[in-house]
Amino acid sequence: MNYPQPILQVDKLNVGYHDKVVLHELGFQIEKGEFVSLLGPNGAGKTTLLRTLSRYLSPIAGAVYINQTDLQSIPQGHLAKVMSVVLTEKPSPPFFRVFDFVALGRYPHTGFMGKLTPADERVVMESIKMVHAEDLLFRDINTLSDGERQKILIARAFVQEPQIILLDEPTMHLDLKHRMEVMTILQSLCRDKGISVVASLHDVDIAAKISDKVGLVKDARIIAWGEPENILHAETVAALYDFEGASFNRFLGSVEIRGNGASGSVFTVGGMGSSAILYRLLSKRGFSIITGVLHENDLDFFVANSLGADCLTESPMEVIAPETIEKAKKRIFKCAWVIDTGFSLGALNYGNFDLLKAALEMGKPIFSMRKKGGLPQLTASSKGILFSCEDEIQIVNMLEKKVNEAP
Amino acid sequence: MSLMNVELKKRQIIWFSIITLLIIISVGLNVIIGSVHIPFSEVYQIVLEHETTSTKGFIIWNIRISRALAAVLGGAFLSVSGLLLQVFFRNPIVGPFILGISSGATLMVSFVMLTTITLGCTFLSPFITTLAAFAGACATMVIVLSIATRVKSGITLLIVGLMMGYLCHAVTSVLVAFAEKEKIKGFVLWQLGSFSGIQWNEIQMMLMIGGIILLLIYGLSKPLNAFLLGEEYASSMGVNIKLFRILILLCACALSAMVTAVAGPVAFIGLAVPHMARLCFNTSNNHVLVPGSILLGAVITSLCDFIARMALTPVELPLSAITAFFGAPIVLSLLLKRRVSI
Repeated sequence: MNYPQPILQVDKLNVGYHDKVVLHELGFQIEKGEFVSLLGPNGAGKTTLLRTLSRYLSPIAGAVYINQTDLQSIPQGHLAKVMSVVLTEKPSPPFFRVFDFVALGRYPHTGFMGKLTPADERVVMESIKMVHAEDLLFRDINTLSDGERQKILIARAFVQEPQIILLDEPTMHLDLKHRMEVMTILQSLCRDKGISVVASLHDVDIAAKISDKVGLVKDARIIAWGEPENILHAETVAALYDFEGASFNRFLGSVEIRGNGASGSVFTVGGMGSSAILYRLLSKRGFSIITGVLHENDLDFFVANSLGADCLTESPMEVIAPETIEKAKKRIFKCAWVIDTGFSLGALNYGNFDLLKAALEMGKPIFSMRKKGGLPQLTASSKGILFSCEDEIQIVNMLEKKVNEAP
Repeated sequence: MSLMNVELKKRQIIWFSIITLLIIISVGLNVIIGSVHIPFSEVYQIVLEHETTSTKGFIIWNIRISRALAAVLGGAFLSVSGLLLQVFFRNPIVGPFILGISSGATLMVSFVMLTTITLGCTFLSPFITTLAAFAGACATMVIVLSIATRVKSGITLLIVGLMMGYLCHAVTSVLVAFAEKEKIKGFVLWQLGSFSGIQWNEIQMMLMIGGIILLLIYGLSKPLNAFLLGEEYASSMGVNIKLFRILILLCACALSAMVTAVAGPVAFIGLAVPHMARLCFNTSNNHVLVPGSILLGAVITSLCDFIARMALTPVELPLSAITAFFGAPIVLSLLLKRRVSI
């Protein structure tokens, strides 16, 4: 079989400073045009690894191969045409305009005195366009914002015309707009220019959505390397960052933050995507969530589960089983408050409507977001009370008020 | 794009012309005006005919011209030395004097001048003192570097340099205390910093060695520019960091050592001139700054020397006093305008 050769290959590599090994026994390879994210807590050794890959540090053991050649034996001028870097340090020497700053990256391509040929100038302009910074062309780099400067640094790395770019925390200190812009630029480096990108990142959610491969750096080694779709599970991410009170959901592609549950329990009857926002709000305000009955492919289930809720579930596409309804009734009996998220009803989840009626029978107060005029309607029974609410905020505010009034 | 480059280039050419013109004027002033009045026509004739036998000829050639040339060369060397150090440390407030390099050189020169080590080989005089100064400069540099690399902070670097300066000064003063009285007077005069009494063989040495070093540095402008981004970036662009580091520091030490050996410690030129060059030429590009600092350093030192000589005649002021008068305010104003940050 004829596989394309990897750009970068690492074999039994130990990296570190002097004789202190920071990461042990690394082995991975990076293909052409691949986007690789290195994830891991601060101080795990991501920067040390990148510095070794860029040859700023020598490996303590093992070797790095660039296009099948040992990194240590590549002449420096040649290496600069194959690999470039964007560091966490953002240099901004005085009296430098963006064009001239980016042009510094032509170093390995220019002659002894570093004079730019028209061809060099074209490449510089092209890379400034690549990062959408044409409007910054004549600006002094000292007047740029962090985000703008980062784009310029990426342009400077790109202007070396490398096959691989190493970036150390390229989104650090950037606002959301620039964060997204930088990631989009990096992605187009891979997709459109065929450049391999290795970046250390802190946003697991962005990394999961953008990378072809991720490497998880923890406990002096790479604990996992591969496609984020295979690797980034709730458990691995929790282990990677020693999460407590938060969890990563691979289906949602984001991190959910759990509440402390100190405000008391509340039972939410929801489903059909009607309760995700309410769950997060309840969790934020410190309520512990009991909910049901949710189908296991429901968005509400993913969110509730990541928030650590007590979920009563049913298999997808099944009518909710009467036993599950009975279990739910028992939980409702123990809860002081019940929420109806106004979920849409059908044959499969009609049991949840019965559940609400049962709650009223038990005399539980229900906060309901059900629209007036929609069918079927809940009606307050002699025992239960029905509070009609507009949105999630109103529910939780009322709930907090009631909880505080209660003895 | 090109439009703006043209504008910048025009500005730089204008400044180069102005500065070159100023050099000619200031050297001319230094040759024509002095404590002994010699009419211009006579000066003109003496210079043209290379007449050195008469008293006036001696004054013009062996006192004024040699001194004027030494000031021009010394200023150029100190400025480039300062420029190299500023690029190397990526710290705008460093210079050979601040980092203690000049003090280290002074210490070694005082060792040679005040003790009897050179007894019997006076014919080697300019070389011995220069070598001693170079050794002292390099030794101080190594110490400052070894401490500064441990604590990567611009302020620490300055403090280390300052402390080294004090230490060298302390040892020098101990040497002075033990020295013979006849030797002290010459030493004290030298230590104030002055281009007076410079010998032609010293100027030849400065021209030869210094010229080669300046050419070498101009050739290094490309890696110097890469160095503006810091070592790690420079290395990733293909600069051989280890070789380059040594080369820059050796050149900086050699240049400032040479000046210290012949003229004594001269403050502020190495620190202030690179800043002034950046402002004049509106760039950090070392292709422009290296020649720019050479010329600007030459002008300023030459003018300072003229002022030192003529301001309060017949008393000659120490050169460092004049350079401090213009250098210190420049550095302060740069700091206050936040043009530079440590």
